[in-house]
Amino acid sequence: MLENNSDTIIKTIDITKTYRIGSIKVNALRGIDLEIARGQFVAIMGPSGSGKSTLMNIIGCLDTPTSGQYFLNSIDISKLNDNELAGIRNKEVGFVFQTFNLLSRTNIYGNVELPMIYSKDRVPNKKKKILEAIESVGLSDWIKHRPSELSGGEKQRVAIARALVNGPSIILADEPTGNLDSRTGEEIMHIFQKLNEQGKTIILVTHELDIAKHTHRIIYLRDGIIHGQEEVKNQLSAEKILMDMPRLEDRLVEKHTV
Amino acid sequence: MKRLLENIRIAFQALFLNKLRSFLTMLGIIIGVGAVVAMLSIGAGAQQSVIGSIEGMGANLIYIIPGNPEDQLVSGGQQAKLTIDDVRAIEREATLVTEISPVITSSSIASYLNKSTRPTVNASTEKGREIFNMKIEKGKFYSKSDVSNASSVAVIGQTVVKNLFGKMDPIGKIIKLDGRNFKVIGTLESQGTGTFGNDQDNFIYIPVTTAQNKLYGLDSYNMIMAQSISEEDIDEASEEIESILRRHRGIRFGEEEDFMIQNQTQILEAINTITGIFTVVIAGIASIALLVGGIGIMNIMLVSVTERTREIGIRKAIGAKNRDILIQFLVESIVLSVIGGIFGILFAVFVSAILNRFTMLETSITALPIIIALSFSTVIGLFFGIFPAMRAARLNPIDALRHE
Repeated sequence: MLENNSDTIIKTIDITKTYRIGSIKVNALRGIDLEIARGQFVAIMGPSGSGKSTLMNIIGCLDTPTSGQYFLNSIDISKLNDNELAGIRNKEVGFVFQTFNLLSRTNIYGNVELPMIYSKDRVPNKKKKILEAIESVGLSDWIKHRPSELSGGEKQRVAIARALVNGPSIILADEPTGNLDSRTGEEIMHIFQKLNEQGKTIILVTHELDIAKHTHRIIYLRDGIIHGQEEVKNQLSAEKILMDMPRLEDRLVEKHTV
Repeated sequence: MKRLLENIRIAFQALFLNKLRSFLTMLGIIIGVGAVVAMLSIGAGAQQSVIGSIEGMGANLIYIIPGNPEDQLVSGGQQAKLTIDDVRAIEREATLVTEISPVITSSSIASYLNKSTRPTVNASTEKGREIFNMKIEKGKFYSKSDVSNASSVAVIGQTVVKNLFGKMDPIGKIIKLDGRNFKVIGTLESQGTGTFGNDQDNFIYIPVTTAQNKLYGLDSYNMIMAQSISEEDIDEASEEIESILRRHRGIRFGEEEDFMIQNQTQILEAINTITGIFTVVIAGIASIALLVGGIGIMNIMLVSVTERTREIGIRKAIGAKNRDILIQFLVESIVLSVIGGIFGILFAVFVSAILNRFTMLETSITALPIIIALSFSTVIGLFFGIFPAMRAARLNPIDALRHE
């Protein structure tokens, strides 16, 4: 059993992950010991092939480790089956992807509602919670619109609202600024920083150091092991950067500022 | 329940997005269901009108036909005859028979002045009116003395009236029947259209003796028709007639009869057997059509699953269980199939209304084929949707999310 420290939201013990591609074994993860406290804002960095996607999939309960143990909010994830994993993802994890991954045929409201549709329990005040989540990313005027009518930054904000709506233990963002220009990316980081200030645990996977420096702590991954970790001393403030950043002309099109 | 409604909404959304494709996919089911329901409605209509017209002929009828059908098939020649002696024997001895008449049926050309028509001529005694269950519109039916005198008189149906006389009053006019003069003494009330679109008013009735002596030179009959005293007695009356005729015609015990007796009950049973076979054949055609339609649905659902792999990935990442995805795609294929079924039924109702109005065919849409069609299309959607839906449900969310 986990020696429960209620402040620990993520704890992995010697996680490995081995893929088989034909007859070749690929050791994507080779023993990861990681602990993330509740309310932390953590960045995972590493070059491609470092295993950071694999680690993210395991942390996000999309995949289970080959060996080792993973506790999310004190729940042992390592032994769960597909359906139990789906339940955990729904309740405990909010995903934000590089490519937004919104349902293109569904309007903003419907997209944010999606996690609630798959909730096991009936959600009280469902509508209010959805509207609050949309409000918190500043898109209240757009609820009836389809994702295709939104800019990249707006789409990502919808994705964040969707990640928030079920009140998950962690928000897992995989290169959330990868498809955005630097100002929009900064705006997204500003939202994350505000959410973190409100107490949300956020895990950010990125390969950009500038983005990683917005967090508290950077974990470097290389060849499937943790290569190093550092506390971020001078955390960048997205708010300040945004104030100094010249507004691009095309920003005028975007009606919403954070 | 709410989630089911949500799934139905998603299904409609997905189907609407590809209207043409959805419609083409449904077409198999539409044609299958439409054909089945339409054919069954024609079948039911035919059955109703066959039964109607047989019952309309008068109740409790027994038909005595000369010759043994098996003998005829084998030897082809030497047909036995039914004569007035047979009629008299039955009249004299039968206790369960009320009316009896010999009948000669043929098709002849009737003409009046320069107009002519080709009706069926039924020759009978004066009992024919009762046996054929006819109502006189104008004039009168021929009498017993007309029969014994072999009078050249005729009673004509409404089609004959229309074809020969138009708006004129036919009573008392002289028509020609196969070159012989007949005086019209009565007209019959309209009986409407029969089973297979046959006109039941295109008939002329003449005394059987006249037909024998003046028209055909026959000493025998096509058939003898008898009526039993009640419906319950019809089988016993048939047996009674059989034994009278066997005795009268000197057929020994164990020998085959040279005549055949059928009653309405047997004929109705025979019709029911035929409709039964018809239904089985339709069901066979239907299952092939629906199978093809079902394969179409499966095909398009597989395409849909591939196209929407990413959507499936998103849904799974966000917490949809395998079962949720399975149900989503299953509902979609069922909706596709059931809508096809509904369109098919509407199509069949339309076709059957057209047939009813513009052709001689009578159709009758009953609840049963509609219920069967709807449940079948549900089952087809379920059956052919399950494989694509399982494929969708089993997708690995990580791979599905990477899918372009």
